[in-house]
Amino acid sequence: MSFLRSLSTGLRSLFRKNQVTQELDEELNSYLDMAAAEKIKRGMSREEALRSVRLEQGSREVTQEVVRAASWESIVETCWQDLHFAARMLRKSPGFTSVAILTLALGIGASTSIFSVVDAVLLRPLPYPNPTQIMRVWEQAPDGHRMNLADPNFDDFVAQNNTFASLAAYGYGLSSVSGGSEPARVNIAVVSTGFFKALGVEPFLGRAFAPDEQRLHGTPAVIVSYSYWQKYLGGADDLSHSHLSMEGGAYQVVGVMPRGFDFPPDVAAWIPRELDSETPSRTAHNWRGFGRLRDGVTVAQARANLGAIARRIREQYGKEVDLADAAVVPLADATVGDVHTALLTLAAGVGLLLLVACANVAGLLLARTSSRLKELAVRAALGAGRGRLIRQFLAESFALSFAGGLLGILIAIWAVKIMPAILPANLPRQKDIAINPSVLLFGLAAIVAVAVSLGLFTAWRAGNGDFHETLRAGSRTHTSTAGSQRFRGFLVIGEIAITLVILVGAGLLGRSFVRLISTNPGFRQENLITVEFSLPSSQGNLDANQSAIARQVHLMDELLARLAAIPGAETVGLSGALPVAAGDNLADGGFLILNGQKSPTNFEEWDRIAQNPSQVGQALYCVAGAGYFRTLGIPLIHGRLFGEQDDLNSPNVAVISQSLARQQWPNQDPVGQIINFGNMDGNLKPLTIVGVVGDVRAQGLDRPASSIIYVNYRQRGMNGNSSPTIVMRSAAPPAEILFAARSIFRDLAPDAPVKFSTFAQEMGGWLADRRFLLLLVGLFAAVALALATVGIYGVVAFSVARRTQEIGIRMSLGAPRSNILRLVLGEGARMAALGVLIGIAASLAITRLISTLLFGITATDPLTFAGVAALLSAAALLASYIPARRATRVDPLVALRYE
Amino acid sequence: MTDKSSDLIQGTLDMLILKTLALEPMHGYGIAVRLEQMSKGVFRLNAGSLFVAFQRLQRAGLITSEWKATENSRRAKYYSLTAPGRKKLNSETREWGRQVAAIARILEAS
Repeated sequence: MSFLRSLSTGLRSLFRKNQVTQELDEELNSYLDMAAAEKIKRGMSREEALRSVRLEQGSREVTQEVVRAASWESIVETCWQDLHFAARMLRKSPGFTSVAILTLALGIGASTSIFSVVDAVLLRPLPYPNPTQIMRVWEQAPDGHRMNLADPNFDDFVAQNNTFASLAAYGYGLSSVSGGSEPARVNIAVVSTGFFKALGVEPFLGRAFAPDEQRLHGTPAVIVSYSYWQKYLGGADDLSHSHLSMEGGAYQVVGVMPRGFDFPPDVAAWIPRELDSETPSRTAHNWRGFGRLRDGVTVAQARANLGAIARRIREQYGKEVDLADAAVVPLADATVGDVHTALLTLAAGVGLLLLVACANVAGLLLARTSSRLKELAVRAALGAGRGRLIRQFLAESFALSFAGGLLGILIAIWAVKIMPAILPANLPRQKDIAINPSVLLFGLAAIVAVAVSLGLFTAWRAGNGDFHETLRAGSRTHTSTAGSQRFRGFLVIGEIAITLVILVGAGLLGRSFVRLISTNPGFRQENLITVEFSLPSSQGNLDANQSAIARQVHLMDELLARLAAIPGAETVGLSGALPVAAGDNLADGGFLILNGQKSPTNFEEWDRIAQNPSQVGQALYCVAGAGYFRTLGIPLIHGRLFGEQDDLNSPNVAVISQSLARQQWPNQDPVGQIINFGNMDGNLKPLTIVGVVGDVRAQGLDRPASSIIYVNYRQRGMNGNSSPTIVMRSAAPPAEILFAARSIFRDLAPDAPVKFSTFAQEMGGWLADRRFLLLLVGLFAAVALALATVGIYGVVAFSVARRTQEIGIRMSLGAPRSNILRLVLGEGARMAALGVLIGIAASLAITRLISTLLFGITATDPLTFAGVAALLSAAALLASYIPARRATRVDPLVALRYE
Repeated sequence: MTDKSSDLIQGTLDMLILKTLALEPMHGYGIAVRLEQMSKGVFRLNAGSLFVAFQRLQRAGLITSEWKATENSRRAKYYSLTAPGRKKLNSETREWGRQVAAIARILEAS
């Protein structure tokens, strides 16, 4: 109560200062008048009385000051005065001020922007109720490798666990959906009962799935995302007339998920898993699993619980299963996965940059302090207390930091706006990146931290000087500046060391990047146009449905023929996935080597043969046509490619990659071997290997060459495990080819969603996250280098100015110019050498942390270290050469008179 | 700049001002004179320390002020005790009595 009153009166007197002062004045007057009147009454003369009152009561001004100083608002007032004075002093040296403010703005702006990303991706809880209870669940192989869930195993997990409130499975992929305002190629998720319950989110319009929609051959129903509903269903409240055709059926739209619900990412529609029959195999790892823990259950308990179930399954089914354990990881951690290291690298880089920026500004402030020592000494002599002087330094640092920081936050706001354009697409949760209160709070904390450390630092340095000494010494000696000059040297050495760490990081990432893009993928990349599309009939397993395959082959052949006829198109080919860029889309599985054994006619037999490890191999499954190899320039090593004779009625054939041949049939001819890969496409017809082709790094340039089994689209069709992609090689401008290609697709497959692109563009997407990381770390490194160079220049130039007289004396005594040059350059070189040494030591310890981000080089790559050290030393020498040259031009006569 | 003219025990000035105002509202000079008279000249207060105390007491809500004409038809700021001020005075007086008695006992014992 009294605190509030004190606050309100205090504020009143702050803002209505005149009135309050006047009132105090008046009261004091009346007090003194009365005192005087009393004395006059006792017989003093008027003058005598006034004099005596003044003697007794002290001067009126002092009294006023005492009363005013007793209130808290007076502290605010002096602070305000200090700030005001600081601003005035800063305005007087606009060069220094703008450099300092810009440097801090850059440092704080960059850190705040990066923090906004870290906050959205790593720190903020997932947007579901009690998000820490949601876990990702995997089967775990004996070697610790995590696998998705197989249908029967998932069912056992659900039925037997006692730690999850709900456990769900889902899968998703691109599919074509029509029935909305136009056909679309969107992600569709197939989700089990319990999916929405585990997340704790319900449709905001309509309803969740009914039991009748969650059973085998039940009523097809779909729940759509907010953005799909807005874009393709017109945002209509009445869903009863909305039917979507997809996955070969018509689905009634029953619900719309709330805006912002985005799990799995970028999914437009969710349909029940139970509508289709389950795959009985316990090794068909088709489902991603997750669940919500029961209240009070820990991750370890859940893991133990599922692990026990997994071991029971293994005991019961033995060799039919490949799981040995289960893995349970909080969903938030599982989502972030690989980008964790990259983001922490960025955060570290930007933190170091902020340090360099602060060191630079500290150096500037120090130089300023030493040039202001005389002013300080005068103020001290006039009665300013040391406390007041130190407060003045604090005020200046605060003014600088806040001006820089606010500008920095503006930079961050701008950066967050343009961020979506440069962020790699695979960065999870990037839609959440925004300047929100916690980001602002971070920015503010950074500002305060910078302000306090800079302020205390300069105050401490200034407090070290002996003002009286300075005043007496006059301008001729610089005893107290020598100390601060040495200190600036230390600052610059630190700056160089930190800069070297950032540069090494950027250098390592840069060299990895160059190595990566110069890695030969196994085919020619230039002038490749890619057309990714999906056909409504290509969904689901074709099995051995010959007529469906025949229809599809007819369409594909026609598409390929007409595309090949486009003027300028050289070669055209078809495959089930674009290598490298969409390499993750290739399905990985085990195949049977028959060795003369009869090919299985059903999956029980298949599984039985698979129990013999010598008859099982591992490879990627890729549907392709002969034109695919010719278009990409994948060389035929041995045997033959697919030919005209391979059609639906002839024995099915396969072409394998060289690495598979080497690995599976060493010293043996794979051509003629008969294998069965029916587990991938549901077609149990055996495959005869007819050829071996060159290796392709299909799963990414950073991965070894893949073992691939290519099957013929004319015999097996494009099935659920493929995303049909046409590749065309053409030297003609892509735009012309694309124009013609588009109209061909409109003619032949008007309902098929198609994505036209070039291989270069697709690769760009694949490289985006590495490029983003490299770009930012490179940028930080460049800024740090610039700051460090400026720092060295500042110290050396100041030292030259300080030693002008000494240089003059040396020269008049006959020192050659080269000596002077060496003297000054030596100073810069010493700092650079020390900084580089410390930086290399630090880098050796630090870069190990980013080794997972590197490709083809070690974290202590000597070439990078040497190159960076050379670059930094060159910059340092250049920065000291400019003042050194100036020093050699000194006219001894002028220098001797120089003050 | 601390006040050196009064040898008042820290914190007792507030109590004395409250006591002075307990009888009737009074202006600053009146309070100073009254304190000096009652203490038989032991406490001589200067305007500075008095005014600081007024400001403090007023902010604490123990006294209020209003401008009035004096008997000599000057204008002066008159301070008066508020209800919390009266309560505070009572409790301070009691506490003071207890402490003085305690100190006296200690001094006599030795």
